[in-house]
Parts: sequence; C-alpha cells; structure tokens
Amino acid sequence: MLLPIFGAGLVVPLSRVSERARAIGLTLVVALAAGLVALLIPGVLRGEIYGVRLFQMTPTISLSMRVDALGAMFAITAVVLWLLAVVYSFGYMADEHSTNRYFTFLMLALAWTLGVALAGNLLSFLVFYELFSILTYPLVVHEETPEAMAAGTKYITYIIIGGGLVLLAIMATYSMAGAQEFGSTAFFNADLSRTALLAVFWCFIVGFGVKAALIPLHGWVPDAHPAAPAPFSAVLSGIMVAAGSFGILRVLFNVFGIPLLKELGVAVPLSAIAAVTVIVAAILAIPQDNLKRRLAFSTISQMGYVIFGASLLSVSSMTGSFVHIANHAFMKGTLFFCAGVFIKRAGVHKVSEMAGIAKRHPITMAVFTLTSLSMIGTPPLSGFTSKWYLGLGVLDAGKPLYLVVLLGGALLAAVYLLPIIYAAYFKEPSPVVRDLLAKGSTAEAPWTMLGPLLAGTALTVVLGICASASGLPLSLAKLAAETLP
Amino acid sequence: MEGHVTYSVLPAVIVLLPFVASLLVRPLGRRSESLRDWYAVVVTALTFLGTVALIPAIAEYHVIGCEIPLLVGEITFSVDSFGMFFALFTSFVWFASTLYAGSYMQHEQKRNRYFTYTLAVLGANMGVVLAGDLISLYLFFEALGLLAYWLVVHTETPEALKASTKYLWMTVMGGFSLVAGIFIVFGLGSNGSLGSVPIAEGQTALAWAAATLMILGFGVKAGIVPVHIWLPDAHPVAPSPASALLSGIMIKAGAYGIFRVVTALFRPPIMEEVVEELWHFTTQLGFAVIWIGIATMFIGVVLALLQENAKRMLAYHSVSQMGFIITGIGVAGYLGAHGAMGYAGALYHILNHALFKACLFLGVGAVYFRTHELNMYKLGGLWKKMPLTFLFTLIAAFGITGVPLFNGFVSKTLIHHGLVEAVEHAAHLAHTTHLASWAQQATALSVAEKIFVVTCGGTAASFIKLIVFVFLGKPKQEFPGIKDAPPRMLVAMTALAVPITVLGLAPNFVLHGVVVPGLHMWGLHTAIIDEFVPFTSANLSSLVIPFILGPTIVVVGVRYGLFHAHFPAWFSVDYWYRRTARAFLAFCSVANRGYEAYVAFVSRLLARTFRQAARGSIRIRRTWRRFIVTLGTGAPGLRHQQFIDTAYVIIERERHGTVRHAVDAAIAAAETSGDTEAHEIERNAHAVRDLAMYMATRLSDERIAVVAELARTGRIEPLRMALEESMARVVELRPLVADVALRLAPRRMAGQSITRELAHEMNVIMARERFDLLLRESIPSWKVSQATARLGHRVGQTLPREEVALAYEAGSQAAAQLGHRIGQVLPNEEVMSAYRAGGLTRLENAARWIANTATGLIEAAIQERVPWMIEDRVDSRRVASTRLAIQRYVRDIGLNVGIAILMLLFFVLATVARGF
Repeated sequence: MLLPIFGAGLVVPLSRVSERARAIGLTLVVALAAGLVALLIPGVLRGEIYGVRLFQMTPTISLSMRVDALGAMFAITAVVLWLLAVVYSFGYMADEHSTNRYFTFLMLALAWTLGVALAGNLLSFLVFYELFSILTYPLVVHEETPEAMAAGTKYITYIIIGGGLVLLAIMATYSMAGAQEFGSTAFFNADLSRTALLAVFWCFIVGFGVKAALIPLHGWVPDAHPAAPAPFSAVLSGIMVAAGSFGILRVLFNVFGIPLLKELGVAVPLSAIAAVTVIVAAILAIPQDNLKRRLAFSTISQMGYVIFGASLLSVSSMTGSFVHIANHAFMKGTLFFCAGVFIKRAGVHKVSEMAGIAKRHPITMAVFTLTSLSMIGTPPLSGFTSKWYLGLGVLDAGKPLYLVVLLGGALLAAVYLLPIIYAAYFKEPSPVVRDLLAKGSTAEAPWTMLGPLLAGTALTVVLGICASASGLPLSLAKLAAETLP
Repeated sequence: MEGHVTYSVLPAVIVLLPFVASLLVRPLGRRSESLRDWYAVVVTALTFLGTVALIPAIAEYHVIGCEIPLLVGEITFSVDSFGMFFALFTSFVWFASTLYAGSYMQHEQKRNRYFTYTLAVLGANMGVVLAGDLISLYLFFEALGLLAYWLVVHTETPEALKASTKYLWMTVMGGFSLVAGIFIVFGLGSNGSLGSVPIAEGQTALAWAAATLMILGFGVKAGIVPVHIWLPDAHPVAPSPASALLSGIMIKAGAYGIFRVVTALFRPPIMEEVVEELWHFTTQLGFAVIWIGIATMFIGVVLALLQENAKRMLAYHSVSQMGFIITGIGVAGYLGAHGAMGYAGALYHILNHALFKACLFLGVGAVYFRTHELNMYKLGGLWKKMPLTFLFTLIAAFGITGVPLFNGFVSKTLIHHGLVEAVEHAAHLAHTTHLASWAQQATALSVAEKIFVVTCGGTAASFIKLIVFVFLGKPKQEFPGIKDAPPRMLVAMTALAVPITVLGLAPNFVLHGVVVPGLHMWGLHTAIIDEFVPFTSANLSSLVIPFILGPTIVVVGVRYGLFHAHFPAWFSVDYWYRRTARAFLAFCSVANRGYEAYVAFVSRLLARTFRQAARGSIRIRRTWRRFIVTLGTGAPGLRHQQFIDTAYVIIERERHGTVRHAVDAAIAAAETSGDTEAHEIERNAHAVRDLAMYMATRLSDERIAVVAELARTGRIEPLRMALEESMARVVELRPLVADVALRLAPRRMAGQSITRELAHEMNVIMARERFDLLLRESIPSWKVSQATARLGHRVGQTLPREEVALAYEAGSQAAAQLGHRIGQVLPNEEVMSAYRAGGLTRLENAARWIANTATGLIEAAIQERVPWMIEDRVDSRRVASTRLAIQRYVRDIGLNVGIAILMLLFFVLATVARGF
C-alpha cells in the first residue's frame, strides 16, 4: 500500500525530463494511492480489519500496518486532499524555485501521513509520525525568506519537544502494558498505578497537543502557515494539525479506552482545554489582518472541536469529532487554496487589501463564500454535519452549557470570516485591487488551481448534502465511534 | 405527528421546483428580459397550483409527507392543514409580487440576480412551512435567511449595505440560537419531529432554555422586540416587491416557527382526554409569549408613528402586526386545550397581514415607481393621478386598521376575544385555587388587553396619516406626467386586494376549512370557534375606542409636531447592540495585542535565557582553559592583575621599541658618518643597545609600577583609556633615549665609567616624562569629575552624563587607533568584569609563584642571549608569540617533570611496599 507513495519519491528526480511528465506522473501516482485507499473502504465498512506486519525488530517490537474505520477515514481524507494539493501545486509553484525539492518532500509527506493513518501499533505510529513531522520542515521553509526560516525554526523546535514527550510516553506504555497492537481492546487496564497512568496520559496529550495546536502549545501554527506555500498551508492545516488530533484520538480510545478515561477523570480537564482552544483561538483570529494567519487561527479553533468532541466521550460527539477531521480538511484546504489564488494572482496577502476583489476573482470568491459558510456551520454544507453531531453529543454527554462553546466558536467563525466576504463583494476596491482592475484583465487562476478549488468545494457540499451516504467519512466515523473500545 | 399520514412527493416537488428553476433565470435573462420575467411568474404560479393540489389530499388524509435521504439523516416533508395554510398564502403572495416585479424592476439594476434569488427564497420559504422535522426546518430556515440577504442588499446603496449587514448578523445569530434550541430539544429526548417534546422531571430549566432559544431564533425573523432592530432598516431598502415579500411573507416564516414551538413542541402529547396538569409548561410559555407580543405591538406602533419614510413606517407596522400574531400564539399556548380562539386569531391574522401588508408595500412601491419619493410629508394629492393605486392602498389600510367588512377586523377581534378569554381564565383559576400567581396573571393580562386596544388606535392613526399625507390633501410638489401604475402592477395589487375584502366578509371559509380540522387533529376543543360570529354589536362596539383614539392621535400629533420627535440614541436597543458589538471587537484586538505582547515577552525571555546559557558555556570553557593554564603557567591573578599583565606586555613592547629605535639611530649615524667597518658598526650598535636597554628598562619599571599602583587604587576603565592615550605620547621619549645612548656609547666602548652621567641623564628623562602625572592627567573621569563638581555646584545635583560619555568616546577612539597600531588591545571593562573577581587559592598562589619565578628566570636567561641582529626587526606579534611559546615550554617541562616525579614516587612506594 505504501509502495506507490515511496515510488512517488523517486518520480520527482526522474521526471526532471520535463515539467509536464512530472505533473502527469505525480498526479497519477497520488490518484492511484487514492484509488487503493478507496478500495479498502467497503471492506472496512463491513467491519473487516486489514493488517500486515512489516518487519520484526525484536521479538516483542515490530512495525505493523492496520486499517480500521478511523484510520481509513483519515487516510482517505489525506490522500484526496493531497491529490488536490498536488494538482494545485502545479499551478501555484509554476514560477517558484526548487520545485523538485518541494514535490519530493510533498510526496514523502503523503507517505508518512498514510503511515500515521494506518499504523498498527504505537511504535509504527511513532516512527511515521516523527518522519512526517521532521521531514516536512523543508516544506515549511520553502520560501526561504527570513520569516519562513524563523517560522521553520519555531516549528521544528515545537515539534521535536512534542515528539520527545510522545516517545517518552510510548516507552512508558511499552514498559507498562507490553507491546500491543491497536485493536478492539485498550492497552491499559485499571490495575495499573493511577499516578503512572496519569503521567503517561498527560505526556501523550502534551506531546500530540503540540501538533494538534491545543492552546498553550499552538505557537508554531500561526507563524508556519503564512510562511509556507499555499498548497502546503492547505495540507498543513487540513492534515498535519489533524495528525496531532488523530494521535490524541488513538491515545484516548486505543491506548486508554473509554472506561479507563472515565475512571481516571481526565476527559473533563481535556475537554476544558479544548473548549478554551476553540474560543480563544477564534477570538485571536478576529483581529488578524494577514489572511493566512487568520485562517491558521481558525484551524487551531477547529482542531479544538475535534479534541472537544472526542473528550466528551459520547458516541455522537465522537462521531462529530471524527468526521470533523475530514470535513475540516476539505474546508480549510479549499480556503487556503483560495488564499493562494489571491496571493499568486493578485498579490493580496491581507484582509484589508481584499476589498472589492470579487470583481476580479468571481469564481474564487464564490468558492470562498461557500466554504466559509460551511465553516460557520450552515446547513446543508459539511460543516453543519460535524457541528450537528457535536451538538447532539454535548447533550448526550449531559453538558448543555458546552453548547455555548460549540455555537460560540461557530459564531466567532462568522465574525472572522463574514467581514472578508462582505468586503470582497460590496466594499470600495482597495488600492491594490483598484490597480489590478484598472489593468483590465479579470485573470482568474489557471485550471490547475481552479480545478482543486472547485473540487474541494464540491466535496464540502457533497459531504454536507449526502453526508449519510455509505462510504463517505460520516459512515466511517460512525462505525469508528461505535466500535472503539 | 399523529393522524393519518400518507406518502406523496408533491411537497418535495413544490420545494425543489423554485430552487431548480432559479438556476435557469440567468441564462434566460441574458437572452430576453421579458421572457425571464414571465418565466419567473410562471414558476411561482406553478408553485401555487402545486400547493392548491395539496388541498384534496390534506382534506382526505390530514397529513401527507415524504422523505429524501440527505444531510445527516434525511430531509422530511410533512404537511398538515396548518402547513398547507402557510404554503398557500406564501405561494400566492409570491406570485403577486413576482408579477408586480416584472414591471417594477425595470428601473433597478441586476435584474437577473433579483429573480434568481426571488425564486430560490420562495423554495426556502416553502421548505420552512412544509418541513416535517426540526433538521429540515432549520435547514430551510437558515437558507431562507441567507438567501434573502441578496434581496435586502439588492440596490447596494450605502443604506442598503448597512441594513443588510445588520440583517445578516441578526440572521446568523438567530440561526445559532435556533440550532442551540434544537440541540436541547434533541437532548430532551425528542426524535426531531414536530411533535410534543417529552419533558422529564427536573428538566424544566432545560426546556425553558430550549423554548427561549428557539423563540429568539425564529423571533429574529419575525421581528419580535428586542431582536426586531434589523427589520425597519432592511425592509424599506429592498426593492418594493421584495419589501412586500419580506414584510408580508418571510417574517411569517418566523411566526410559523414560533407557532410550532409553542403549540406543537412544548405541549403535552396528543391524547383523547385533556389533562390540565400537563399543560402547565405550555401555559407559562404562553404567558411569556403574550407579553413578548404585547411589547412588540406597542413599541412597533409607537416607532411607526414617528417615521417620515412611508416604507419604513410600513416596516415598523410589520413589527407591530407581528406583535398581534405573537399575542395570538401566546394566547393559544396560555389557554392550552381551550386556546382555539388564539389559534384562530393568530393564523387568521398571519394570512391577513400577508395580504394587506404586501398590498400596502406594492401600493407605496407604485407611488415610488412614479415619483421616486418616499417621504410622506413631501407627497400629497395623488389620488387623482393614481386612482387605482389609491383604491387598493385604501383597501389594504382598511384591512390593517381593522375596519369592519375587511379582513383585519375579523382577526383582531379573534385575538381580542382570545385575550379577554385568557383574562377570564386566569381570574377563574385565581378564584378557584386562591393562588396569588393566578390573580397577578389576571391583572397583567387585563393590562395587556388595554395596551392591545391602544395599539389598535395607534395603528389607525398611523394609516390615517399615510392616506392623508400621500394621497389626499394638496400636492406639496409637482410630479409632472404622472399616471397610474403599469397594468401588471395593478393586476398584482388587485389579486391581493380582492381576498382582503372576501376574507373580511366570509371568515368562516378559513376558520372551518383550516383551523378547525387542524385543531381536531391535535385533540383540542373547537366549539368556541363554531360559536364565533364576527359582526355582533359587542365586537363592533369594541372598535369605538380605537377609532376615536386614532384620529385624536393624528390631530394632536400634527398640532404639536409629535411625529417629528426623536428619542435619544441610547433609548434604542440597536444602540446597545452596536456598542456591545464594537466593545467585543475592541476586546478581540486588545486580546490579540495582549497575546502578541505575551509572545514577544516569551521570546525575549527565551532569547535572554539562550544568551545566558551561551555566556555560561563560555564561562565554563574559560574556567577550564584557566585551569589548564594554571596547571602549566601559574595563576592568572586578580582582576587588576590581569590588567597589569596586559599593560605590562604593552609597556614591554615600548621598551623593545625604544631599544630598537636607539640601535637604528646608531646604525644610521654610523652610515652618515662614513664608517664602513662592519665590525666597528656592530660594536657601536651593541654598546648603544646595552645603554638603551638599561635606560628603557628603568623607564619600563617606572611605568609598570605606576600602572600597577593606579590599577589597584582606581577604576579600570578610565585607566585603560588613559594608558592607551599616554602610550602614544610616551613614544616621544624614544629619540631622547637614543640620543643619550649614542652620546655615551663611545665612552662605554672606551671602557670609561659612565654611571654618573647615565644616572643623571636618566633622572632628566624621567623628570620630563613623569608617567604618573601623565596618566592622572589623561584619565577622563578625574578631569571630568572636577568639572562636574563645579557644574553640579551651580545647577544642583545634575550630572552631565553627556560630557562623561563624550570624554569616554574620545578616549576610546584614541584607544582603538592605538590598539590597531600595536595589535594588542587592553581589556576593557566588560572583558575585565568577566574575569574572576575573587582572590587566589593557596594552591593557585603557589603555582603562580613557581610559574612566575620560573618564567622570570628563563626570561632573564634567554634575554641575555638574544642576539639583537640588525636585520631582525622583531615585531610585536613575535614578542607575544615567543612569550607564549616559552610559557608552553615551561608547562610541558613542568608536566614532564611532575609526571616523572610522580612515577618515581610510585616506584619508591611500590618498592617500599614490597620491602615490607
């Protein structure tokens, strides 16, 4: 399964022959991977679990892969978003430097992501997670401007510290519970020392929380996003941050398991942290003038929803949380694609410069509007689906006051997204836009950029309207929420 | 929902048809404008006909429904007689409005957009009233709100933009409030249908929260006080046909929502027997809703009286009329199983208001279409020029004020009856139960009833004003070439005006056709409606007060100019909302600034920590090096000792320089005097060197002594600069020394004693130099401090720091130049402070003593032997490196010797041990 992706790493240097060959080759490889992952889904939905042992390191420690509902959902989300990002990159990166480096690491990153999604035990999870974290550094600093380098340093510092904590926690887990595969039973049982369990738990949470941008640990996110190229920002927001959340989900449900979490009483503080993340990040998003930075804060807030839903431990809220990973990936990916179009085609980086831009980029702005509405949670778009399950979950968990967090976050999303749309459609054009309009050309982006944009929006709409169709993320999320230990 | 449910796709088709049809508007509009206009009319007509086609099915089965598997579960449609009732008048008024718009929109821009969204909003509105569960209801309600944004913003004038922004935010917040309510309803255990919500013990608070949130959510659309603020702004700025839809129909979507909340969600399950206890919650909710309605109607009418803009006035009347409707719904809830009168009044008034308000907007729109004037006080006398428009507007005004034979009379009478009945109900309960709360409620409701009557009077006043100022009286200005509205507009108004009179004359058609079957299905008593007769003398006499009050208000208002009064800004809720919003945004940016400051603080902290760590590591490395050096060459000494050591190197170099200068001078002198014998020259040079070295050494000793003394007593930094400055002047002494050496050399070579002369010359030179004075003189702080003392005396305590800084500056510049020349710079304060401050340990002292002695010995031994070759211009660097090499050599030797001694010791010990 991972083979085509490893092949992708090789494709890049080989197709130095011509840009076109590289473009077609890479697209085909990712599409192939997407197809393969999609092939797994019907089986997963039937409740089958695929697994393969890669190799045995010592009699007790091995690397293995395993496909369950949660992993399959994350994998298909990642690979589809990657497909969009790769195609978009051909348009976006056309006149950029060192594109080969960019594409190589982009493809490698996909491989590691799939590894994370489909890892069969904690060790293989860790291996892919670390590869994924560290080898994406070249993508973060791709622009090589001083800001990008500074952001990259910040990123790598945060990530390495987080990774260290995760490693520590995993070693503790192996020593306490032995080597176990992710499966239908949790690793730990309640006989173990409470203190040790608590220590391991918080180690895991802080370690993965760095990646998932829980609020005191989110520092790298708002710097890394504006610095990276737009297609990678999309992936960074949609998948990388989600990988941290995915790690937390694995820890919550596969390592500890719901009964133990309830007994330890750790879910309540975790949900409080997540709630703070949702609200504070959204409040901080409102005054940001840099568009990508605003979106980055939005990502922090939305990832807060994922942890929030998961930590409520009711089936509905877990479903909402899982499916929000997929929905958010496509929504935020599309928003970043839009931001990329504005940067590339109009040279507009700031919200204040976006006034009147809808006249020049009608399609992009329409897409932006639709996706923003989805982000706010307007039916029938996909954001509504996740918010719906989260809302039901909040009440199933018997905490109606958390509705304030859920809807407050959504309302704040409206506060930081709607003014952009309003300005773009109805305000007097800003000086930048006026100059562009004066030049005459309506210059929408090339099809390599518009295509992924429209596809992302289509996914947002389809995942909302046809949310309950079998095979879409919601079905996988439901299955996952029902079958997790 | 109970009853016989039958399956039919018709509701879904009715909802989806306008949505799909809206996609075709733009392509058609590009081809032909009139084709598009008629297309839109046909679509709305089809929608209306489709709704009419529902009637037989509803009459037979009571409820029809269908499901589409979409969204999080499925979208369901289910239609009962109430839903059908809403759907009927919605699609009918829409049809009229679209017909009217074909003509009216000719003077507006972006007509394609208008028709697209008109149709899409129709679909959403039909969806709201035909939806079969809460999720679908929410979906269509939200779609309605967001799509209608495009109708409000249509003209894109600054007012329209402002109003639409307000509208959008209210809609968004209303949506969130609604969805929160729906979540709680699900949390209470509902399955999402529009049926009774089970309220378990102890969950009353939650139920209240749900009801409040949902009523607020729907209320935003319905324009209830205090969330009405968007309505009077948004309705007038839209094009008139859209205003008619917004005011006539779309706010009914909100009313529909509140109706369902009060009468369907928060009521006990439908049973054969009515159990009064179960209705308690509904009663309380109904009481609250009555008061919301009363407040809305009264505040709406007061504000309406103050308006100049005709459309704005109508918009405030929409608020006020919604108050009547909400009151009706509240009465229905309050009276529970006996609330038939409330249901009938509310529903009937919903229908009536849709008709007459739409008609009024179309009428005023027609006036605007011809005159482009909306200010009532600037119009007048139009009845002659626009007779038909006048007629239809008058009919609608009769309707809204409740003139008998027009529809408003019937519905207002119904609501009034309901209110009176509510008072009696409360009074009856107060009598039977002796509970104070019932008595209070009875009093409160009778107050509400009075307000109701006053509001009717206000409404009458308001419309007398409209008719008089716009159509009657003398024209205030000339509108040349005005004729009546175009035919399509007139047809549309006719379509609305006819039902106004018909429904006023024959109310039972609706009451028995819709309300009674619906109530039967819900298991409520309907006998009271059967007994209702509109045109009784009691009902007519209840009109006396409003119809006296109305003209009175107009006369008094015009006389005293009350209609132009303005409340202060802080009086309106809008003002406070605005302030809250602004305060929130300010809070956000403060939060962000705080966050940025926090980030900056942390990164500065980190940077400082890193710097300190780096400095710490340097310190550790330096300590380690010093340790090694101490091992080999002895201790480095105290802080000032470090300085003295460095100064020593410089002074030593000056000594070498002096000697070399003398030797050079000797050779030069020999060359000029013509001496060619190399042997002689060399001997002479040697002699000169000996002498010069003696003198230079004495000078150096003197200097180093001075420096050492000053270093021990004074501050390092000024001393450093003074020394560097003085060394430049000390160089001047070189020729003097060379001179003396040259003069005395021949006598020395001749073997004479020159001790006395030499001592004398030395004294002269040293007296001339006075190195100590030289140094003290050039220490800036000492000079400055005198000036400072004087200055400080004059000005008070101020210290002229700039002066000090300048002096330092000058000193350090000289130092930099000198340092550049010598290649060795004296350590400055910062470097010095990095040196260890404390004293030496005993071990270090011993090591230092040994090392210094050894160095001195070796130095002395080597110095004697160094042949001062003439060509060998030893530069300063080599001196330093030689010195270092010697130190290393000594260290190595010392180590070797030490190791050798240790080994010897071990060897001895080992032998001794074996010996024992």
